[in-house]
Amino acid sequence: MFGFILRRLAVAIPTLLLLIVLSFLLMHAAPGGPFTQERALPPQIIANLNAKYGLDEPLWRQIVNYVWGIVAHFDFGPSFVYPDRTVNQIIAAGFPVTLTYGGIAFVAAVVVGVSLGVTAAIRQNTWVDYLAVGTSIGAQVLPNFVMAPILVLVFTLWLGWLPGGGWGGPIFWIMPVVALSTSFMASIARITRSSMLEVLGSNHIRTARAKGLSESKVILRHALKPALLPVISYLGPAFVTMITGSVVVDIYFSTGGIGRSFVDSALNRDYAVMMGITILVGALTILFSLVVDVLYAWIDPKIRY
Amino acid sequence: MSLLQIRDLNVRFATTDGEVSAVNGINLDVARGETLGIVGESGSGKSQLAFSIMGLLARNGRATGSVRFDGAEILNAPAPLLNKIRAERIAMVFQDPMTSLNPYMRVSDQMAEVLMLHKGMGKTQAVAESARMLDAVKIPDAKGRIRLYPHEFSGGMRQRVMIAMALLCRPDLLIADEPTTALDVTVQAQIMELMADLQREFGMAMILITHDLGVVAGSCERVMVMYGGRIMERAPVDPIFADPAHPYTQGLLAAIPRVDQKGDQLSAIPGSPPNMTHPPAGCPFAPRCAYVMPVCGQAMPPLDAFAPGRERACYASLDVVRKGHAPQPDLPEPAAADLDEMQESAHDH
Repeated sequence: MFGFILRRLAVAIPTLLLLIVLSFLLMHAAPGGPFTQERALPPQIIANLNAKYGLDEPLWRQIVNYVWGIVAHFDFGPSFVYPDRTVNQIIAAGFPVTLTYGGIAFVAAVVVGVSLGVTAAIRQNTWVDYLAVGTSIGAQVLPNFVMAPILVLVFTLWLGWLPGGGWGGPIFWIMPVVALSTSFMASIARITRSSMLEVLGSNHIRTARAKGLSESKVILRHALKPALLPVISYLGPAFVTMITGSVVVDIYFSTGGIGRSFVDSALNRDYAVMMGITILVGALTILFSLVVDVLYAWIDPKIRY
Repeated sequence: MSLLQIRDLNVRFATTDGEVSAVNGINLDVARGETLGIVGESGSGKSQLAFSIMGLLARNGRATGSVRFDGAEILNAPAPLLNKIRAERIAMVFQDPMTSLNPYMRVSDQMAEVLMLHKGMGKTQAVAESARMLDAVKIPDAKGRIRLYPHEFSGGMRQRVMIAMALLCRPDLLIADEPTTALDVTVQAQIMELMADLQREFGMAMILITHDLGVVAGSCERVMVMYGGRIMERAPVDPIFADPAHPYTQGLLAAIPRVDQKGDQLSAIPGSPPNMTHPPAGCPFAPRCAYVMPVCGQAMPPLDAFAPGRERACYASLDVVRKGHAPQPDLPEPAAADLDEMQESAHDH
């Protein structure tokens, strides 16, 4: 198992390199650049700017320099648009925010989603099941860009209970968490329900019942673990998506998370910020798919690496 | 008073294709220490009969009638009452040892939880006792191997684990649902021998469900032949083989391949089992029966005792059946309605 983890981490390095090269090429292939403006700058100024940020060098050289900066100094470069900020600073300011509301949203989505799914499966084809399935379909089809303004309307403008935006203590976390977690929660509930139903129909659950175990023990001790396997494979990518934030949440609630920085950087052609966040998301994705594999092996004794 | 007393048991499944009648009006008594064989082809309702005794029917299944165990009504009994009887007094060995053990738990945990639940043992004591039981079913190095997961055992060994698990509480009744069907032939014999030994040792009653008449001949005292969810014939084991009194029993016996008779054709009962979504009004075997008469399609013949301990449900006279020279009826090719399919769809919903 330990060897497996090491091997997977070793494979992660070329994967990340490939990710860097591909996104670098794609980014530069897109028309325009960080200094393109509606009123064209004099060519001399453009040339000076390009020289300052190294954009006058051949593409391969830029990639090598960029990678070297990361490997040698963990330096993701300066922002092309905000001259006084580095990519490291932008991520350091925004990532803790998305990590906070994304992490809480993740825990909420898993706890509520799994409980809802299990309950629906146990009470299959009763009003509890219909209510749970109905709620999760509703939650899944309600996009967060609709949900967020409704939340602000109700809880800020009508009731005045919650601040409509900004970032501070836990009171600021509530609406971003709700807006972000709802659709994930619904997906988790639906995956849990269907996989729990499948497990409950399997032979070893009949054996567990034949032992005289109470229904709650049958569910918790025998059915839950296998029922969670498909949920776990969904959770790896979902976790990364959640902790790197959502542009909708960042914009509606002015949280200052990196979800907004990512979209802004793409619109502004802020190459360095875009690369930095891409690498962050890529590295987290690799890390959490490894976590998923390790969890799989922990649950299913037949999986050995 | 018999240990198990079943009266007018019916099992119905609600499926998308309509209601399936799996078991129809079964009466059955099992005495203490007795071994009863239940024989029938796939879809004859024998497994569902067993599941309904223990309250293990699939969700869409409904059982009606009466099942009394040691005097107490247990059919559709509340869960706490059933849970006291399950494993403790009635235990079950299932057909497929590959999937009937929990693949995510160590054998030690799966076995120990039975003793911890019913006997109030601590974990250490329960595991030690479970290892002794694995030893009793002749699993080598039981103490070491109890820590393994089910997939680390072979099929035959897994079925031994299932048997050991069923016997942990020394039940009064063991229901074995095709315990050897999923195993290869040499292992089958070992498992049957083991079960017979253990039954003698523990003095328990056993219901052995099988489609293999050879298994029945070797280990049962009485045999009940089922078809279409009904009892066709019931008798002590010797007359069943020597003097089958029901056309279906005759067909089953004739279908056993014999090495001492030449010929390349295997004998089979013509036709295929009835579609139990629309059960026939009369005898379910009538469409395939060589002795069929007009009355057979109208009402199910009663199960009549015709000799001590022997009963049959057939309108054809015993003499005619015994002579066995009825003309073979012209039957269409086997219909598409497949009972396996029906069972699956019963499971799915």
